[in-house]
Amino acid sequence: MSINPLIRNFSIIAHIDHGKSTIADRFIQMCGGLSDREMEQQVLDSMDIERERGITIKAQSVTLDFHSNDGKTYQLNFIDTPGHVDFSYEVSRSLEACEGALLVVDAAQGVEAQSVANCYTALELGLEVVPVLNKMDLPQADPDKVKQEIEEVIGIDSSDAVAASAKSGMGMNDVLEQLVELIPAPEGDEDAPLQALIIDSWFDNYLGIVSLVRIKNGVLRKKDRIVVKSTGLQYGVDGVGIFTPKRNQTDILRAGEVGYVVAGIKDIHGAPVGDTLTHVKTADVESLPGFKKVQPQVYAGLFPTSSDDYEDFREALAKLSLNDASLFYEPESSDALGFGFRCGFLGMLHMEIIQERLEREYNLDLLTTAPTVIYELELNNGNVVYVDNPSKLPDMGGVAEMREPIVEANILVPQEHLGNVITLCVQKRGVQKNMQFTATQVALTYDMPMSEVVLDFFDRLKSVSRGYASLEYNFVRFEEAKLVRLDILINAERVDALAVIMHRDNAQGRGRLLCEKMKELIPRQMFDVAIQAAIGGNIVSRTTVKALRKNVTAKCYGGDISRKKKLLAKQKEGKKRMKQVGSVEIPQDAFLAVLKIDS
Amino acid sequence: MHTLPTLSLYIHIPWCVRKCPYCDFNSHATQAGDDIPEATYIAALLQDLATELKAVAGRRLHSIFIGGGTPSLMSAEGIGDILTFVKTHIDCESDTEVTLEANPGTFEQAKFAGFLEQGVNRLSIGVQSFDDDCLQALGRIHSARQAKLAIGKAQALGFERINLDLMHGLPGQTLASGLADLQQALDFGTDHLSWYQLTIEPNTEFHSRPPNLPDEEVLVDIQDQGQGLIEAAGLSQYEISAYSKPANQARHNLNYWRFGDYIGVGAGAHGKVSYWQSGSMVIERRVKLRQPKAYMSAINALSSSHIVTPEELQLEFFMNALRLQAGVSTDDYLANTGQTLSNVKGALVSARKAGLMMPDRLQASPLGWRFLNDLLTYFE
Repeated sequence: MSINPLIRNFSIIAHIDHGKSTIADRFIQMCGGLSDREMEQQVLDSMDIERERGITIKAQSVTLDFHSNDGKTYQLNFIDTPGHVDFSYEVSRSLEACEGALLVVDAAQGVEAQSVANCYTALELGLEVVPVLNKMDLPQADPDKVKQEIEEVIGIDSSDAVAASAKSGMGMNDVLEQLVELIPAPEGDEDAPLQALIIDSWFDNYLGIVSLVRIKNGVLRKKDRIVVKSTGLQYGVDGVGIFTPKRNQTDILRAGEVGYVVAGIKDIHGAPVGDTLTHVKTADVESLPGFKKVQPQVYAGLFPTSSDDYEDFREALAKLSLNDASLFYEPESSDALGFGFRCGFLGMLHMEIIQERLEREYNLDLLTTAPTVIYELELNNGNVVYVDNPSKLPDMGGVAEMREPIVEANILVPQEHLGNVITLCVQKRGVQKNMQFTATQVALTYDMPMSEVVLDFFDRLKSVSRGYASLEYNFVRFEEAKLVRLDILINAERVDALAVIMHRDNAQGRGRLLCEKMKELIPRQMFDVAIQAAIGGNIVSRTTVKALRKNVTAKCYGGDISRKKKLLAKQKEGKKRMKQVGSVEIPQDAFLAVLKIDS
Repeated sequence: MHTLPTLSLYIHIPWCVRKCPYCDFNSHATQAGDDIPEATYIAALLQDLATELKAVAGRRLHSIFIGGGTPSLMSAEGIGDILTFVKTHIDCESDTEVTLEANPGTFEQAKFAGFLEQGVNRLSIGVQSFDDDCLQALGRIHSARQAKLAIGKAQALGFERINLDLMHGLPGQTLASGLADLQQALDFGTDHLSWYQLTIEPNTEFHSRPPNLPDEEVLVDIQDQGQGLIEAAGLSQYEISAYSKPANQARHNLNYWRFGDYIGVGAGAHGKVSYWQSGSMVIERRVKLRQPKAYMSAINALSSSHIVTPEELQLEFFMNALRLQAGVSTDDYLANTGQTLSNVKGALVSARKAGLMMPDRLQASPLGWRFLNDLLTYFE
């Protein structure tokens, strides 16, 4: 059995702003991955949106040479992981390819729920978790308390945790020394038949599909004939190499290493994430255990504002989904909004990012309907159906039981904000399961309806805790609930795209608020606009947008028409952002009104 | 033979004694005590005119409008020189309407007789209000008393056609005071009234420091009840903000609304002139240099020229034509655009279906007239 004993594959588990990207930048700088000139802040976050929002969405990797004090040069393969709660499934993919992980904790703020969850995933996968205390240069840094918290909350020994500051460079070399010492070299055999795990695949305009792989066994070379295990399709390898983080063609990847493969695959489905690659001559080798398929948690309708853009929109979604296997979409048609797609997202941030990318990268003007979770319905005939669109809710007469998804939410919050957080959880129909006090924080576990968690809970949680509380959640089960569909009627016409499913106890109050919000958002027009909220056949609230008395420009000098044209152009621009429902013009904002009212 | 639209002439005088806070036209305040550079400006105007008139050789002039700014700041002789130049360089209709905009200040009143003598046959007096508080709020430099005197003087001198410019919806105005203002104008027995609501335009003093305007309900009541008063005085509305006795409609403005042609001379003046080229009608919009100084010193006064595209054409036509109460006939569309209605058929069908246009003419319905900005979106 042979394998390079100097390889170390690792990920970094860290909360969004606990400094992971800065650490990654430091490592790259220290190991000479890029010249100073090439060193751009946060090099790994390459998507524009990632850099702007300071978050990582997709897994990336970088291979670095580290010259250790023991005189050896180690090959470090760092696989980046996303930090936001919406993207937790990407994390487990990255961890699967590693033997260890650095747990980076902000020495001033303490442990954060998402990191705890990721840490458990790493421990379950048998990874060595190495704690690092970052931001030690801050005056508020309290390493002893944070160490105690790591031990209490996560249960790993943190007595040797390196005190570091990626910003100042303090302790960074020690982090790497500890990393090569504690994290084991990968297991595997270069002489065994090839088994390469696809960690990620994405579409590159010039190369086609590029896959990030971890070689478990064997050696992969340029010009090899390979086969994708799940499809059985064969390809010739055009190129293999590593990221430094630039793409660097090495023509060979050995057992234990992480790098990319380009094999003339044109379609993302040709190289599914979690799949195994092997040589054609060893096509019978066993597949590696893959990843569990992710289920979208939030669904919303996306519609092009102009129906002419439908085809472009469809193509854009197809292209985007090449790089984002978690994006689900299927055609939807709405009476109010015409043809569009019902899309499934991992969470609200994911939804925002997809919409932003569609608008920015594909130049589309889109209208989004209120997001919803998926509901389970048991019909009178015993059949169970799932509904991801309020307007598709069947006749309630035929429904025996309606169930909503419940999540287990794990929250970490400093004690001084505990009261606020508990109040919020109760407000969101949460049921407390567990509460554990640690050195600085309280760990709370609640069962909560997913519908209450996915929409604005994370933001609300941050605001009631001054940004300190952290959240991690998992779907656990469907549970019976008294749910109703709240309809909005505009001039007595039910607007399908405005319907929402919600708990019966909240529906009436929400209906009233929604009517008021709609009244604010819908501009006055040529006639009165009646806005009603209804549950089943019952109108629970009503309000009216009074008609304008006139809309005409008083004085208009015949000679200079440019002013008047400008005014009309401005009006037209405003109308472009409206949707015609019956004879009423509804601004796009109104379709998201349900998100804009404080519940 | 290809026909061309009726041709008018607009002459712009760009100076005012003071810039009003609601005004977004090309007007420039004169320095206190300074006279306007009349001779230099007229020389530039005549040069501009000569160029423009050459391009319309063989056509006939239907009307002349001298606007501003404050044209009544010019001497009567100066106005006379301009008119003489025009009449010697282009054939004019026998009863060509010649309108001059005048301020009702004492200084200007003294020139009314001279204007009449020099061939101005219609006076448009910028009264704006008969309420001194409102006049002050509007930044006008004349008083209600001066306005009344000015109208009386113009009538006494024998101006047969006088337009009164009056605004409503002024700062501090109530329904009662708005209607009283209007009634005073009507009591002069004027044959033409421009009565329009004060609107706040971008790039004006009012836009950066908005005055306290009446509520929408008051505005609409003034408009509705005022309309009744105007009709009782024997005037009828023929355009969104224009009212006249029968046969006294402003011919010059009518030509604008009907999408006629007009030459524009003077600083910042806009013109629209059509001609035929290879079997199709070309419509050109020309704009002159905006700054009086630049205009006076330029060899070529043209600032920009633009050929109206077929897409722009329909909106521009309807933007004007639908302001007329009676609209225009379908023949007028052909005559003044050189195009058939086929391009706008769809828009017409939808607008009519929505009840915003009348069935036979190119005319807004009463609803469409009230919501003209909404109606025009059909033609964008």
